[in-house]
Amino acid sequence: MTKLLEVMDLKTHFHTGSGVVPSVDGVSFDIKKGEKIAIVGESGSGKSVTSLSIMGLVGSPGRIEDGKLAFEGKDLTKLSKKEMRKLRGNEIAMIFQEPLTSLNPLFTVGNQISESIKLHQKVTSKVAKQKSIEMLEKVGIPRPDKIFSSYPHSLSGGMRQRVMIAMALSCNPKLLIADEPTTALDVTIQAQILELMKDLNEELETSILLITHDLGVVAEMVDTVMVMYAGQIVEHTDVYTLFREPKHPYTKGLMDSTPKVHMLDEELVSIEGTVPNPLSMPKGCRFHPRCQFAMDKCVSEQPELMELNDNHKVRCWLHEEKEVNLHDLVKS
Amino acid sequence: MVKYFIRRVLQTIPVLLIISFIIFSLVFVAGDPVALMLPEDASFEDVENLREALGLDRPFLVQYGSYVVNLLQGDFGESFRFNQSALPIVLDRLPATIELAVAAMLVAIVISIPLGIWSATKRNSSLDLLATGGAVIGKAMPNFWLGIMLILLFSVTLGWFPVSGRGTMLHLVLPAITLGTGIAAEMTRLIRSSMIDILNQDYVRTAKSKGIHDFFVVYKHAFRNSLIPVVTITALQTSTVVGGALITETVFSWPGLGQLLIQAVNTRDMAVVQACVFVIAILVILMNLFADLLYRLLDPRIKYN
Repeated sequence: MTKLLEVMDLKTHFHTGSGVVPSVDGVSFDIKKGEKIAIVGESGSGKSVTSLSIMGLVGSPGRIEDGKLAFEGKDLTKLSKKEMRKLRGNEIAMIFQEPLTSLNPLFTVGNQISESIKLHQKVTSKVAKQKSIEMLEKVGIPRPDKIFSSYPHSLSGGMRQRVMIAMALSCNPKLLIADEPTTALDVTIQAQILELMKDLNEELETSILLITHDLGVVAEMVDTVMVMYAGQIVEHTDVYTLFREPKHPYTKGLMDSTPKVHMLDEELVSIEGTVPNPLSMPKGCRFHPRCQFAMDKCVSEQPELMELNDNHKVRCWLHEEKEVNLHDLVKS
Repeated sequence: MVKYFIRRVLQTIPVLLIISFIIFSLVFVAGDPVALMLPEDASFEDVENLREALGLDRPFLVQYGSYVVNLLQGDFGESFRFNQSALPIVLDRLPATIELAVAAMLVAIVISIPLGIWSATKRNSSLDLLATGGAVIGKAMPNFWLGIMLILLFSVTLGWFPVSGRGTMLHLVLPAITLGTGIAAEMTRLIRSSMIDILNQDYVRTAKSKGIHDFFVVYKHAFRNSLIPVVTITALQTSTVVGGALITETVFSWPGLGQLLIQAVNTRDMAVVQACVFVIAILVILMNLFADLLYRLLDPRIKYN
């Protein structure tokens, strides 16, 4: 598969009154055509800022300090505002966490979908309307011609997220960024929306970058996973390897703190401590204050993202000399 | 919609009744009207005779009852200064006040909308500081002082505009600016804070993510949303406008309701005072009703049931 987006050493920092916050600090990954990839992490890990950086929507006081965002060879960080607007909503589209507030309450659903179609495809209102209704039908909205002229407030959360997806996909984007698309929805609707995104990914060959904190959603949806912690990627591998054999203690902690059906009577483990204050990141490995395996080296030196094999990278000193199985380490 | 409108109009009846009660009571608060009408050396008998002739010896509520009956017929009593029915005198002055109020609102809108939006989109820039600072000064300047300063500069020194009176468009400029400045200041601050709030909304981010030009993001997606609170406050400002008109009209000898009201108060021409207050109250009620209807046009979420 060819590379659609290459993120190279992305650094997005926020210049606040109390200092510089390195929200995204040297993130690199790529997305291939038709691939589904996820970034997982806690709130404040920098996953949303990564996606906003790709969209060129990082607002003041934040800005991209360094790095390259090569989309089909073009560096997004070098594009003019106008060129970026041409890509946004057209080749790269985004859906957001809050379907309830992400649609403008004063315009009809149809107006908002056809707005991007008219903008990017330069078609008449009539054609745009027809296309919008087709899109609404495609995302499983009943009576699409009636919903076309309804206002967002008359739709349920699930329906609004479907509208958002229809809007995002209306110009056949090559990349769809979904920032916690199901977080605000209840479980059955969640499953429907994920299913819909998977179907559309297969049908339209849209690559998907999913931002989430929900490992269940990751397992359900994607091929490749990146785990982010304090602005950095700490583990990067395919979804099966990640769940079978997490290599970073943070990933393992995340897995252990997810309730599982076959272990309902066991106590749920949580990761000790909290996410570090971005204004004063710990020296050495950023996870070491919370890590049960921390060694002297972890306190003093920051690990690089090491390549264990072709499709597994991890940022941890434990695996410096040879690959270690964390499950065995806990037992010993 | 029509049903709602009818209900709202019906709701104004108790409000008008309360207002009529208040303006009727004014007469009693202001002192004995009979004593005012008769010369100081009038005999006790003359006073009693006139009191009886005017029906002022009847119980308070009975007098109020007949006052309301007269009101319903548009009869506010005679103005003793003009020797004619009070209501036509007031209505005669109404167009001048409406002209001034509309012009002042136009001045306010023309200044405050672009200024409010600019300062919200360029927060903490020098333009923003200038706009918010200007708004504080605009709000703090008393109407009468601003009016006199404008007359001094533009009429007396530069001679660009007439000093006072009504007639041509030139006459309207200075009074409209005087009355409009305070409202513009209030509205600028309101639009700014409303826009800042709206620009942080998720749907504005959605609009940006669609690749829409910043201009349309601000004017199509954000501005209309920010107008909802602005319309409310603007409608409520009607009373401020009328209050300001009292002073502005006096400063510029603008022959409107405000000037008439002040003259009537000074001469204790109670029928005219009452008619003025009543007409102003109706104006304020109408503006609020208008704002209610405007919401429906602006915001589809508002339903009138």
